[in-house]
Amino acid sequence: MNNKNPGSDKAIVVARGLKKHYRRGIETIKALDGVDLEIHAGEMVSILGPSGSGKTTLINLLSCLDAPDAGELQIDGRSVAGLAEEDLVKVRQGILGYVFQKFHLLPTLTVAENVELPLMFLQRPVDREKTLGVLRMVDLENRAGHLPRELSGGQMQRVAIARALIADSKLIIADEPTGNLDKGNGEAVFALFRRLVLEKNLAIIVTTHNLALGALADRVITLEDGRIIDERVNRLV
Amino acid sequence: MRFVAFAFKNLFRRPVRTGLTVLAIALAVAVAVSLIGFNIGYRRSIDTSIDKLGFQVMIMAKGCPYEAATMMLKGGTGLVYLPASTYDQVRSDPDISAITPIFVGVAEKEASGISGESGSSFAIISGIEVQSFIDMKPWMTMSEGAGYKGGRWFGDDSTGEVVLGFEVAEYEQRKVGDAYFVTITPYGQVEPVMTELKVVGVLERTGTQDDGTVFMPIKEARRLFNRPSELTIVGFKLKNFSGLALRQFEQRWAKLPEVQVVGLQQVKTTLVSLVETAQTMIASVAVVAIIVAVIGVINSILMSVFERTGEIGIMKAIGATRSDIFQIIWLETMAICLGGGVAGVLLALSGTSLVEKAIQSLIDFGTKGTMVAITPEVMLVALLGSAVAGCFAGLYPAWRAASMRPVEAIREGE
Ligand SMILES: Nc1ncnc2c1ncn2[C@@H]1O[C@H](COP(=O)(O)OP(=O)(O)O)[C@@H](O)[C@H]1O
Ligand SMILES: [Mg+2]
Repeated sequence: MNNKNPGSDKAIVVARGLKKHYRRGIETIKALDGVDLEIHAGEMVSILGPSGSGKTTLINLLSCLDAPDAGELQIDGRSVAGLAEEDLVKVRQGILGYVFQKFHLLPTLTVAENVELPLMFLQRPVDREKTLGVLRMVDLENRAGHLPRELSGGQMQRVAIARALIADSKLIIADEPTGNLDKGNGEAVFALFRRLVLEKNLAIIVTTHNLALGALADRVITLEDGRIIDERVNRLV
Repeated sequence: MRFVAFAFKNLFRRPVRTGLTVLAIALAVAVAVSLIGFNIGYRRSIDTSIDKLGFQVMIMAKGCPYEAATMMLKGGTGLVYLPASTYDQVRSDPDISAITPIFVGVAEKEASGISGESGSSFAIISGIEVQSFIDMKPWMTMSEGAGYKGGRWFGDDSTGEVVLGFEVAEYEQRKVGDAYFVTITPYGQVEPVMTELKVVGVLERTGTQDDGTVFMPIKEARRLFNRPSELTIVGFKLKNFSGLALRQFEQRWAKLPEVQVVGLQQVKTTLVSLVETAQTMIASVAVVAIIVAVIGVINSILMSVFERTGEIGIMKAIGATRSDIFQIIWLETMAICLGGGVAGVLLALSGTSLVEKAIQSLIDFGTKGTMVAITPEVMLVALLGSAVAGCFAGLYPAWRAASMRPVEAIREGE
């Protein structure tokens, strides 16, 4: 399959006219109402917007956890519209790393085991050296053998980021990763994302309702009522 | 298989819940295993006890075949006698290949000599015709143990001589050459008469009722009990034993009054069916216990699936497929059921004697000693059964978990 758009040969996400509607009683909620988006490798995009503006809905579509009602979506050159859950998993596997607001580490597994969890599902061999390397990237190498409950919130979120990195994902998608963190830890997470974009040429999409944090991205997209109402490019050094 | 260790870790997250669920399975399996083990062991023990009677058919006074059977196997009270002429008539039957008359009586045995205890107990006396009797039981040999050397059978006409079964000799501490006292109330008299007899031989252990029997010549037994022309049982073998041959034989001798012909195959069936009533009861308890335990497993796994809704969503988001999630939950269920199976078998092995006593107290089943036989086959069946139960119990929870939509699972988990 080769549906690459001309002029965006490095685009890892291409979305055209994405729609997602929810029905609540007789009312139809247009959670997403026609979103166009392109994201390239080596780019960090933040999605801003008030609560209920459709950020999570958009993130879930982009990360292939959910299917759009209308519109076109390509991830790494593969069209995913209309794919069933089983096929969406295949698209996610190995391309996409997902980071959640609540970290969601498994409490019985150590930090290193949590990081390695995706490899079990990808049926890839575990390489402890590599795990430690990824943990070093998030500055938690010395916590490899700890259990999640022994870590602080900021540390747990960095473990979750390491978990998103272990399978050599090209795209990291993070929904409100700083929502449960204080200011300092929130800034640390965004700084880490910046570094990963620069050092590993990843594409990162991150939602937040914190304007100051959002401004740390290359591109800032503002959503309201399921539509993009503003898009600006930052000149970051 | 790559999820085995992971599934195990999940189980240890709630050790008490997992432990209780495993315990429920273990108890159910233990009951089932003991029951099957008892069934096998009991049949086996009935088989050997009856085979060691040496004859396939016996003639005895009319009564219920169960009484007949227990009397033969345990030695019984309430003995009914036949006229000695029965033996003379039947022995002429052309189909008979071997035949022996037996006179059974119960003596009061006043504890005497070395032990010096007061009180009394009973001794089962078998009056036998030596040659035909040992022809029936060629495995019977004289013990050559310490103090038993030089043992021999008595002659048919000898008086004052007895041969003791192994357990009698051991219990009474009698050696060859010792005196043995029996107290018998002769038929038609009121006063018991004590007689001193001499032990001329002690038999090797046979594992049957013969071990607890005192043997003497049939003539002497008749005299001591004052029943000069009576006997209790005629045991014999048919030349070509079959159900048909037995029925034909029975028809030929139906003319004898107050007599029944009992095939030992029939006795086996009677004894087995007798215990089956008790077994059916316990088996239904076991079945209910297994069903309850399996429902418990399903419930406990479902609970843990719902508790981990968010987690399952995360696993899907980081790359787990439906079948991965299905396998994980299914393995957890299997581990609980197999763990319960193993624990149940161990429990059954260690609790065998208790179970036996419980069954024994429900019904007197005609033989004695340990007989719950938990064979490797039974254990294998129990483990396979638990695995199969695990397979089925795991289906629904695993399907529920696999069907969780990641988005909703994550939302609920937040
Ligand atoms: N599963 C759903 N069913 C019904 N309505 C939903 C569902 N998910 C989201 N919505 C609605 O869609 C809108 C966008 O939600 P969401 O994407 O979660 O916004 P945000 O993440 O920006 O807070 C909201 O009005 C929300 O109530
Ligand atoms: Mg949201």
